[in-house]
Parts: sequence; C-alpha cells; structure tokens
Amino acid sequence: MPYALTITHLYPDYLNLYGDTGNLIVLRRRCQWMGIDCTVKSLSMGETAQAGQTDLYFMGGGQDTDQVAVVEDFHQLKYDAIRADTEAGVPFLGVCGGYQLMGHTFLMGNGEETRGLGIINVSTRAPGTEVKQRCIGNLIGEIAAATYADMQTLYASPRAIPRTLVGFENHSGQTYLGDGVEPLAQTIAGFGNNATAEHEGARYKNVFGSYMHGSLLPKNPHFADYLIGLALRRRYADATLTLPALADTEEFAAHDYAVQRYG
Amino acid sequence: MNQLLLIPIVAFAKLLTLALRVSGRGSGTALPGYLIGRYFPFVLEALVSQIPVVVAITGTNGKTTSQTMLSAVLDQMPGARVLRNKAGANLSQGILSELLKQSNGFGRLDFTHAVLEVEEATLPRIATLLKPNIIAVTNLYRDQLDAYGEIDRTEKLIRDGIAQCPTAAVVVNGDDPRTARLTQGLGNATYYMSLAPEYARFLPYEGKLNRRLPDSQGLEATNIRINEDLTTDFSVQGRMNDQGVHLPQAKTVSPGFFHVYNGLMAIAIANLLGIDGATAIAGLQTFRPAFGRGEILTRAQGEKQVNYRLLLVKNPASFSLSLELLRNIPALKLMLAINDNTADSKDVSWLWDSEVERLTQADIDWILCTGIRAKDMVVRLKYALDTPPSPSPTVESIRQAIDLSFEKANPGDTVFVLPTYTAMLEFRKLMGKTLDIV
Repeated sequence: MPYALTITHLYPDYLNLYGDTGNLIVLRRRCQWMGIDCTVKSLSMGETAQAGQTDLYFMGGGQDTDQVAVVEDFHQLKYDAIRADTEAGVPFLGVCGGYQLMGHTFLMGNGEETRGLGIINVSTRAPGTEVKQRCIGNLIGEIAAATYADMQTLYASPRAIPRTLVGFENHSGQTYLGDGVEPLAQTIAGFGNNATAEHEGARYKNVFGSYMHGSLLPKNPHFADYLIGLALRRRYADATLTLPALADTEEFAAHDYAVQRYG
Repeated sequence: MNQLLLIPIVAFAKLLTLALRVSGRGSGTALPGYLIGRYFPFVLEALVSQIPVVVAITGTNGKTTSQTMLSAVLDQMPGARVLRNKAGANLSQGILSELLKQSNGFGRLDFTHAVLEVEEATLPRIATLLKPNIIAVTNLYRDQLDAYGEIDRTEKLIRDGIAQCPTAAVVVNGDDPRTARLTQGLGNATYYMSLAPEYARFLPYEGKLNRRLPDSQGLEATNIRINEDLTTDFSVQGRMNDQGVHLPQAKTVSPGFFHVYNGLMAIAIANLLGIDGATAIAGLQTFRPAFGRGEILTRAQGEKQVNYRLLLVKNPASFSLSLELLRNIPALKLMLAINDNTADSKDVSWLWDSEVERLTQADIDWILCTGIRAKDMVVRLKYALDTPPSPSPTVESIRQAIDLSFEKANPGDTVFVLPTYTAMLEFRKLMGKTLDIV
C-alpha cells in the first residue's frame, strides 16, 4: 500500500531562524526516497487550525518580536485543534525557540518571561547565577532508553542506528521539565535544557522539543525516520508498520564525526 | 595636551608592533590597538580627526570589496592619499592599530581620506570618535547568529551608530528592506543603491524587497550582464545631490550582482566627494578583487597549469549568490571548503539556509568537499541535488583537496573554490599566498 503523509509547518514565515528549513528538506526527501507521498502545508498567522488534518507538525525558532506575535494568534486560532491532535498522538517537533515557545512560559532576549503556547508542560526561565552567558556550542546527547528502544522497532530489517543525537545550541533561556514530560536525551557535551540538569530536549506523548536548533534532522536521520514512522503508524493505525532502511552513509558519517570531534 | 600625550603613546605602539614582529608573535594588527584603546581611549579620535574625509563602510557582506573599489576610485584623484584598514581588522582595535601604524613618530597622519571597513556591532561604539562624513551600509543578511544573536539587533546597532552622526551622508542598499529603512526618522541625507527589479528579485533579502520612492536620491543599475569570465557590465542612472547621473558603461572585474551594489556605492560616494562619473568608472576598472573575493590563483606543475577561482562564502546569502553565478559555467569543477572556526561561525546550520538547490540545473563535472565540516557539506549536497555526484569525494585536509583537484582537473581548467573565511586563508597559504592580518 502506498503511504501518504501530511506535514504542517507552523508559521514558516515568522519562525525560520537559522537552518530550520533543513528539517523540512530532510523530512520531504526521506519520504520521497522511501516512496511515501509527502505534502508540506504551511499554517501561518491568521489561519485557523483544524484537528485531524495533519500527521506531523514542525515549528522552528524565531526572533523575539515574531515569537510574541505568534502566541496571540496561536491561542485564538490554533490551540484547541493542535492540542487535540497532540493529545491524540500526532507527532510535533519544535526546535530551539520553537521548543521554548511550546511550553507555558518562554524567555525573550530582554530577559522578560512571556506566556507560551502551552502544549507541553515545560517552562523556560531567565538564567540565574548558574550560567553567565548564552549556552552556545555543539550539543551531543544520548537518546532516552525508551525512545531509543522504540526507534529500533521501526525498520523492516534490523539495522544499527546511533544512540546519540548531535546538533548546535544557542540559547540563554533555561528550560525545566514539568510532570509527565521526559527528557529527550542525556547530555554528553553541551548544556541542553539547563545548566544543571544534564539532559536535553523533551518528550510528551509524541511531542518533541530540542535545543538542537536549526538543522537537527540532517545529521540525525534516525530521528527523522522516527518522526515519519510515528506519524505513519498513527495515520494507518498500525503499530507494527515498518520503514525501509535508506543508505545513510553520508548522514551517519557526519553524525559520527560530530560525536568524535565534539562529544 | 592630548596632542603632546600622543607622542609617547604612539612611540610605545610602534615599539610594541616591532617587538611582536621580531619575536614572530603576529603582525601587530590587534594588540597595540587593543592596549591603547583600553588605556588611552582618546587616541582613536585624536588620530582620525586629522584626516579631512572619513568614510565608514559597514554591513554583513561586501565591506571589503566596497572599500577596495572606493579606494581604487579615489586613487584617480590627484593628490589623494587614502588610508584604509585591512580586512579582518575592522573592530575598533584593528582600526586604531592601523592608524597607529600609519602615523609618524609625532602621531601625525598625512592622509586626505580614510576609507574604513567597520564591523557592524563596532559602529555604534566608535561612531562619535570617527565622525564619518559618509556612512555606507552594504546589506544586512543573516550572518553569524552565534556571535551576534539576532539580525534585528544588528539593524538596531547600525541605526544607533548613524543616529550619533547627524551630519553624515548615508549611502545604503536601497533594495534590502533592512538597510533601506535605517535612516527613517533621522535627518541624515540618504542615497539608495538599487538594482533594476528584474535582478534584485534573485537576492535573498530578509523580508520583502524594498522599492525605492520615486523622489529619493540614489543610483540604479540596469542592463546588468555577467560575462563568461565573471566580469560584470552594467549601466548606471539616477540622481545624486539633485543632479542627474547617467553612465551607460560601467564594469567590474568581480563577479555577480553583489558587486554591482559595491560598484554603485563606490560611484555614489565618489560623487559625494566631488569626483565625476567618468573618473569614477575609470577608477573602478583598475580595481582588482580583494583576496578571496573572486581572485584567481594558479598552480603549475611542469606543463600542467590549473586556475583556482576563489569565491568566499560567509553565510547563506553569499553562498546562494555564488551558486547562482556557477549555474551557467560549462563542465563545472567545484571545491566546497567548509570550516567551523570562530571566524567562520562555529555553527554550520547556515548550510541548510543556503540554496544549494540552485546547483540542480548546473552542468557539474565534479564536486569535491573539504574542510573541517566537509561531511556536513556532503549531506547538504545529497539532499539538494536530484542526482548527487556519486561517490562524493570528501577530504577533510585542504592540502589533500588541492592535490586531488589538481589531479582531476585538465590543463587550463578553472576550478571554482567556495571557501569559508578560515578555509580561504588556509587555501591561499597552501597556494603560497598569505595575508598580513592576525
């Protein structure tokens, strides 16, 4: 059966800070290579969200002014539908500013805390004395055990996939996970969620947040596949659905290099 | 009193520069400026105020090329003596070091013009000291977010810098929405440099392309033709100081649309400084690309000779535009050299904002990826191209990449090299060329 997938890119014209588009390029290409008919829709300011219309949400980071503009619009036109979807298991990936924005409060460049979208129980606060400057640099994390075990069930035949995620972080906000939310990974190098916790990113149901800003998926093709797999399993109500393994020689070479050099 | 104090300070700086050079600890472009800027902050103003005309050039791309073009034009002026800071020394300590270096033992500077490249965040810090007669802003692209945070902030910094200089004439890129609005609400005379809309739409500006108001002053380039040797012909028309300007045949030897803006800026600034259009265009002809910005280096072994054309890539904008140029090169041989040192941006996410997809229609003979982040570049290529070059040769070492590309190239071929900043420095060094910068 030929599969199809609809990806919704939230506020692409407002939240597209630095390399965010790489994540969509990767999702679209990998679907194409796996023979999945992939449609990317944008959902921006002034447009009303309908529940049950999409299989995967993606949201990037933005400049402060744009992030603030998005919050009002989200609560008025999108919150109910998207919250219903994510509660029903639709995957959602938010990176960097997009991750902070997904929580109850997020932090702006001027140190002011603002109401967030409230679709995941995390909050981002201004740094206290624990970090002097922005958290900037390469970030390596070891994927949480349950997520990693689930990732390995994804492929039609067993294949070796890295246990790590690699990326680059650049944030001053310190994110704290609330009840029901698990870290996405344990940090091996870099700060991650906050200066003391030693973990990075968040998972609640199939909602994922990560400080690996911009182009998270290009060097983590196993994570890209996981999002595609979760979306398909839900859409086709088939928990045993599997994906073909692509030849990810170049992607894993870049991934392993980052682990060795910066890990 | 300040003038008397200058003498021992300048003497100290000169001794320090000498000591740094003799001991082989650098070329002395940063440390003397740093120390003196820190302990004797009045020195910068005392030195620069001796130069009658000061032009400050800032923006994310094209500072060095604009500076070099303007210097080439000013050199046509009889009696002109132009002081400029070298590329890379565009922070306040670098500018101060250059002034110290060029002054005599009494702290005297014998120049008619200073054409200074000023880093974006540095402008508001030294604007009141420099008192520039003219401020030029080339463009504001996303660049080095890991260093500066947000482009909104960079825009604000430059605006703050301009606000400190109410009498300065301001020359801006009139298509870039961020630079075109810089003097809104300020009293500065502003001149807008634009390309005719059919060209400007290729340029990856942040936001909607700005359209010039009909009554605004400035220059527009039309009939732009990029030749096969990557020289660029264009016509110029517009209004400067309420006088019509019409120059049908301008030419730069540097490649592409970017450099047309730089050329327009040089012509406009020359006009403001009293140089006529024909002289400005003649000066522009004498311009040679600054290192890495379109220059050609040649490697020869026995009978075999291969040319390397360097097109520096610093951010998504410059990368996308260089690829736009290469789309029409027959049997393209391409070397992509990506480093992630501090001067390049430690974050390589920008590769994904670059429109590598523009290569899809290119006639590619081969592509070689090199540099610290060669493997990241290969992944970007794989996702951009419908038929990625396979196998993609990747060598981290730039030295090996030069050897390999020389082997692969036929005699007389031109290899296009797109390096990040430190990859460009390394490439030039390996080709036997170095720069006098830290």
